[in-house]
Amino acid sequence: MSILRYAIDRILQTIPVLIGVSLITFLFINALPGDVISALYADQALGEESIRALEERHGLNESFFERYLSFMAGILQGDLGYSIHYETSVTSLVLTRAGPTLMLTLSAFAFAIVTAIPLGAIAASRRNQSPDHLSRIVALFGVSTPSFWVGIMLIVIFAVTLGWLPSGGLVYPWRAPGHYGFDSQLELYVQTVQSLLLPMIALGTMQMAMLMRIERSEMVETLQRDYIQLARAYGVSERTILRKHAFREAQLPIITIVGLNISTALGGSVVIEQVFDINGIGKLLLSAIELRDFQVVTGITLVLAAIFVIGVVITDIAYAYIDPRITLDGGE
Amino acid sequence: MATNEAQVEQDETAVSGQEVGLSHQLKQIKRDITARIGLYIVVLVTFVAGFSWFDANLGTITFGYVSDYTLAQAAPLLEHPERLPPPTDMNAHAPPAFVEGGTWEHPLGTDHEGRDYLSRIVYGTRISVMVGFAATAIGLVGGVAIGATAGYYGGRVDDLLMRFVEIIFAIPALVLIIVFTEFVSGGNPDIQYAVAGAGIASIPIFSRIMRSRVLSVREMEYIEAARSAGVKDRHIIIRHVIPNSFASVLVYATLQVGVVILLVASLSFLGYGAQPPTPDWGQMLSYAHGQMHSNPWMSVFPGLAILVTIMGFNLLGDGLQDALNPRIDN
Repeated sequence: MSILRYAIDRILQTIPVLIGVSLITFLFINALPGDVISALYADQALGEESIRALEERHGLNESFFERYLSFMAGILQGDLGYSIHYETSVTSLVLTRAGPTLMLTLSAFAFAIVTAIPLGAIAASRRNQSPDHLSRIVALFGVSTPSFWVGIMLIVIFAVTLGWLPSGGLVYPWRAPGHYGFDSQLELYVQTVQSLLLPMIALGTMQMAMLMRIERSEMVETLQRDYIQLARAYGVSERTILRKHAFREAQLPIITIVGLNISTALGGSVVIEQVFDINGIGKLLLSAIELRDFQVVTGITLVLAAIFVIGVVITDIAYAYIDPRITLDGGE
Repeated sequence: MATNEAQVEQDETAVSGQEVGLSHQLKQIKRDITARIGLYIVVLVTFVAGFSWFDANLGTITFGYVSDYTLAQAAPLLEHPERLPPPTDMNAHAPPAFVEGGTWEHPLGTDHEGRDYLSRIVYGTRISVMVGFAATAIGLVGGVAIGATAGYYGGRVDDLLMRFVEIIFAIPALVLIIVFTEFVSGGNPDIQYAVAGAGIASIPIFSRIMRSRVLSVREMEYIEAARSAGVKDRHIIIRHVIPNSFASVLVYATLQVGVVILLVASLSFLGYGAQPPTPDWGQMLSYAHGQMHSNPWMSVFPGLAILVTIMGFNLLGDGLQDALNPRIDN
């Protein structure tokens, strides 16, 4: 089977999963108690007439099945529905809030990869020596600590006690410097980095720890391989072996873990956005649940699930492309 | 998710032919120092969690630190926190003993209602341990049932069940549990709904591990023999397939306890888990988050308690995994 066939097959396989996700989220979320209209007009005594008129305007009086079908028809055109509370389309709402969330998640992954790979590799090459023990302890703490607590402690230490960094909010690099009262573009960027630093570390710590463990165990295994032993016997320096021969092979599982963990990180950003008061998708989701704005909740859940599924597919395809030992026939 | 399964299957091949099983694992753990530390932490935490159950029989042991009422008085009241007597001393937000202005009467200070912070953290242990075990049990039972059925029958049954699992897996756990909690509780979230949600969110991991184990066990000769002897499928699955696949599932269960405690703590932090006045660590951190500037010490100890608890389960789980998987010699 060619790689192209495999890729197409893999993409087609995601369709039933995505339809299932849409059906389940739509079902559950529509069955949530409360409705947006009574939440929105809680302080006004609306007559039955006007409630019905409002419901009709937003299509809430149609049957569940009709609403699901029109929702799915909308999705095929890239339309995630209409937010009754925010009075705008969910698609544009999600797009405007995606910036901060992407900034946060991507920088967290960058932080995790940049720290985990060298530390894991060093730990493996100095197995059972102090750098190894140290890195294993760091990794253990990383996977055992709730990210929101890391965030709170970072704020307490670096913002409250030392006063070095801001305790919350993000400075967006795409805004004009004047918006924040800064003089220059450079100052804007500096402030962006400063505001991003703590939430990035808070969200990235667990990813870093997971990647570090995998990097270490993969490197340990690779360094025991026959061809590495052979290179050693030929007198190739340990440094060259590490850099040229072992390193590349050990990176394959890292790709997988990054692909699978995107979803975890996006889920984690819901909490981190709350801790650092960042106006991203996570905060939007939480307030939409509070406001019973179900279109927004459904839309965001579906987008997050789609990102996860696409991430897995890209991972699988990349894996198959890089590692020729993977059989593409996929049969059991 | 072929790659993930490839990994799991790789582990399987490494295991086959080795002496595996619980007694072997326990022997290994005795030798492994980190696993032993994990075991000690888990035992200690479970003991602290259980302490408030039998303390009623111990009479007036005050635990030393409960300021307003003894544990014996407090234990039945914990079931109905709203009936707790108002604290006699309203010294709210008293700092810990080692901070200026603190006293040893409240070693870790008091919260906004003057309740002793250390006692609340100790009670929080009970909640976290129960959350961890209960949610993991739900995920384990559901996952093992789905995974064993899918793996044993294969074909359409397998496809259908695993697609369902993939759907659950695709929704970020936190989002899934929040929506589930809101749905089941009718808009009044509480800890038991969060536990059920975390259990459901744990089903995918267990069903995948179980399925891949069953795929290898299924081909064993004794299963073939049982089948040809006319033993019923259900009997084969429950009596032979599941017990022979259980060791590796147990490793993940130990690790999952930590994952679940972490998830539910995040939910409580967001307000979708335990509600005040329940002394839950995540819920305490939720309050402490608002006190970061005025009383930063409040954030420290509930978080440390979560860290130590989860670390215990992680160390133990890693130890079990190493014992089960001799491929990686550390």
